[in-house]
Amino acid sequence: MKIVKKVQAGTMQSSDLMVVLEPAETLTVSIESTVLKQFGALIRARVDLVLARHGIEAGEVRITDRGALDYAIEARLETAIFRAAGE
Amino acid sequence: MVTSLLSTDDLKQARALIEASGLTFEPRFDDLVGIVEAGRMVAVGARDGRILKMLAVAREHQGGALLDQIVTALVGLGFQEGFDSFFVFTAPSQATSFEALNFTLLASSGRSALLEYGDGLKRYLARHGRLVRPGVNGAIVANCNPFTFGHRYLIEQAASLVQQLYLFVVREERSLFSFESRFRMVREGTCDLPNVTLLDTSCYAVSSVTFPTYFLKDGDPGGAIQMELDLLLFAGRIAPYFNIGTRFVGSEPLSRTTACYNAAMHKILPAYGIKVTELERMSTRDAAISASRVREQLARGDSDELATLVPESTRQFLLSREGRRVWETRGNTV
Repeated sequence: MKIVKKVQAGTMQSSDLMVVLEPAETLTVSIESTVLKQFGALIRARVDLVLARHGIEAGEVRITDRGALDYAIEARLETAIFRAAGE
Repeated sequence: MVTSLLSTDDLKQARALIEASGLTFEPRFDDLVGIVEAGRMVAVGARDGRILKMLAVAREHQGGALLDQIVTALVGLGFQEGFDSFFVFTAPSQATSFEALNFTLLASSGRSALLEYGDGLKRYLARHGRLVRPGVNGAIVANCNPFTFGHRYLIEQAASLVQQLYLFVVREERSLFSFESRFRMVREGTCDLPNVTLLDTSCYAVSSVTFPTYFLKDGDPGGAIQMELDLLLFAGRIAPYFNIGTRFVGSEPLSRTTACYNAAMHKILPAYGIKVTELERMSTRDAAISASRVREQLARGDSDELATLVPESTRQFLLSREGRRVWETRGNTV
């Protein structure tokens, strides 16, 4: 899928995350998290997995996380991807 | 559940909660949302453009998730309006509550703190990364509404004193001339100076975020605090990135707000190792050349003296069809 418009998904509540996707030439992922030191690498791995699964090769991905679990990360990111692809 | 507050009764309750929290109710906002529990307003917050304000949670509900819900709702509404970074002013003691929501502290004075949601400043700096030069550099922040001989003189003087001069043109669209026109006038008026680098301020210097009163005619008491934050942000985050050791300003005999801003610079910047150099303004016929003087003349429809006040490149723009359209139709709003 392709990111064709700027979208947002998620909330800023505890155990959740907010995802912003924006069209761009290349793929960049930025993650801010209250638990970045402990789980930054795991969050990133999960994000990359979901992006790869949907064939996202370009776009700007910005995530602010407040300790969301894997399934929340997947759900929020997927929602954002579907919205960004205009589906 | 977070709802938009529209009815008179909602507004009254919101106002009471805001004022009970020691904040001032400001009627200027794009969104006002709140959470009502058992018929009582327990949390409230507002958005004015990219600024979140009047965030208040009833005392017995503090420490829960109400603030998160309010901020989520405001950010979501703002996002729909096309904003993707948001700012909040709060007491320094409250800054950590916002940092827990992934806000980043941009500047903090004794009285007030400015935080940002989204990594806008980081991205702004990264975007200009290729303009970074080592050495002893200087900076000017100017609106150039429009670009005059006064600006040109200040820039020339400053450029001769440093290795690289960064000229930040105010991005905010609150002036007679659009950012695009102002930037173009500056570019054309300075292109012969090899060590002058132009860039825009985004919302990180002299903007409606960092310094709203700059754009108002008479200052308000909050202005002094925000001026401080504007300068602390410059000193703490922008200047170090560009190796800026000196900030240049023109002496200010005319505008009180600008004179206060200059005074605040002398007070704050040296503590961060940034020298403030005030350069005497250029004058013609005993009056300092200023952009407001040019605008006054244009408002009167008087373009005869332009050649003595603005460089040829600016004059050509002002007299072009595009330039005329600006001052002939909006000329009265100086």
